[in-house]
Amino acid sequence: MNHPALRRLGPALTATWLRPLVAVFVSAVFFLPLYLLLVNVFKPGDEIVPHPAALPLPPTLANITAVTSRPDRLFWYGLINSIEVTALATTAATVLSAMLGYYLARCAGRWATPLLVLLLCGLMVPPAVILTPITKVLNAVGLMTTVPGLVLVDIGYYVPFGVLVFMGFVRTVPVELEEAARLDGAGLLRTFWQVVFPLLRPATASVVVFLGVWIWNDFLNPLIILGPGTGTTVTVGVYRSIGEHQSDFGAVFAFMFLAVLPVLILYLAFQRQFVKGLTGGAGR
Amino acid sequence: MRSAPKSPGPHPGRGRAVRGLGHFGALAAPGLTLYVLFVLVPVSMTCYLSLTNQNPFNPPTRYVGTANYTRLAHDPDFLHSLRNTAVITAVVTVAANLGGLLVALLLDRAGRLYRALRGVFFVPVILSAVVVSVIWQALLTDDGLINSMLRTLGVDHPPGWLSDPDLALWSLAWIITWQVLGFCVVVYLAALQGVPQELHEAAALDGADALQRFRHVTWPMIAPALTINTVMLLITGFKVYDQVQVITNGGPGEGTTSTVSFDIVHTAFTDDHIGYASAMATVMLVLVALASVAALRLLQRREVTL
Repeated sequence: MNHPALRRLGPALTATWLRPLVAVFVSAVFFLPLYLLLVNVFKPGDEIVPHPAALPLPPTLANITAVTSRPDRLFWYGLINSIEVTALATTAATVLSAMLGYYLARCAGRWATPLLVLLLCGLMVPPAVILTPITKVLNAVGLMTTVPGLVLVDIGYYVPFGVLVFMGFVRTVPVELEEAARLDGAGLLRTFWQVVFPLLRPATASVVVFLGVWIWNDFLNPLIILGPGTGTTVTVGVYRSIGEHQSDFGAVFAFMFLAVLPVLILYLAFQRQFVKGLTGGAGR
Repeated sequence: MRSAPKSPGPHPGRGRAVRGLGHFGALAAPGLTLYVLFVLVPVSMTCYLSLTNQNPFNPPTRYVGTANYTRLAHDPDFLHSLRNTAVITAVVTVAANLGGLLVALLLDRAGRLYRALRGVFFVPVILSAVVVSVIWQALLTDDGLINSMLRTLGVDHPPGWLSDPDLALWSLAWIITWQVLGFCVVVYLAALQGVPQELHEAAALDGADALQRFRHVTWPMIAPALTINTVMLLITGFKVYDQVQVITNGGPGEGTTSTVSFDIVHTAFTDDHIGYASAMATVMLVLVALASVAALRLLQRREVTL
């Protein structure tokens, strides 16, 4: 650490022009793989291998229409499934973990700690560890290879994360508001929905963003639970499309571009909430 | 659903118990049921199945005691997957922490430029591992972009990043590091912005140079960020599956890049050795728990509070 070059680098970095220069350069190198994805989506397939880094001039939509007009409709089936699974599982897991988190923070009494520990254990379980028994449970209830089956598995798997976020947040909400509502004759559920839940909005945003991204990008669970054929998500669709035509980079890149587009648009629109949500207010 | 009556009736104690049960049923039961059904029950089933020889194509299922575990301890393929997982986890944890901290120190300035650059580093975090894997596969294959660039620079035999058994595992670790780096950057940045400016000024007055200030002021103050990142990276490293499945399929050759998750899924769903795969899964579960607890203990000890 005491190398003379490093010591000289210290004051140099504080020079006003060097830091932005280094920062931009490092970021550009880091961004290179994404740049290649972006430019090659809009380039004719036969120009990708000889000129991978060139700008797509003039740009073409041929790769994208090739994906959207596939005769097996892999992309569209995947998109519909992804939207269904992500919307249902994210909404349900968020609501259920908000209720459970509230219960643990306010109503559980001496059961709160053991229940929380039980839930936190679930945070560490790698999906591969429980996948075989999950398929057995789903087979037993007749939901294997169905979207509802995958949604239920996702909810069960992600509830602990939501509870962790919500429980911490509920504790920062003053209890007087709830007591006032209860005195006015509101039942527990009504108090929760009309008084507490609106106050939890920052935590809700965090959980929704986190679970939405996770579930949209999930690979192993949909791969095994939905199985092959039309029962696929866009993320699994990307994997299936590389199996078929390994050399057609244009088609594969276009498929990937379309698969990440919804998440990317949401990210660009709500960048601050995304970063905050995904790092969970870490480091405070 | 209605909650139980609010006014304690003639038997106050019983009323409270009924009300407590009503609260539990209305608020806690739905989420808890799904968690138990799809996490806790499967975990216990995994532990139980690991003591059997279950194979749907080779009935009947018998109780075999610890035979699967004895076999695991001498299974070179499993030991190899275990070693690969450990290498990936260690490399990713060190590299992403170090890289993330360096980038965070570089970008720890106000202004639109730095905000935009932070956004750049965060993009891979929101992408699926499958997409990231395919992009890097296109870059790193033998005739990929990186090697064609190396050839134009005059390197006659550029390395086989994904086809050389000695390199493929490192390439995987690199790809995972690239994807999670942005997360570490954001966590470190949040921590850096929480270090009070007065501490830096006081240290500077005492004659501390930039490196000394980092070592004695910044570093102890951002310890919680190190804890968060390390635990996150350990969990990520342990469960690596997607990248192996998409990029190398465990190869090149026999299992040179297979991880424990990959081994479990293939033993269970390709070879149908459910009992044996469950034993692998149980071993992994124990290792993840031990590593997480150990890391938390170790790292929290060196955190300081103001």
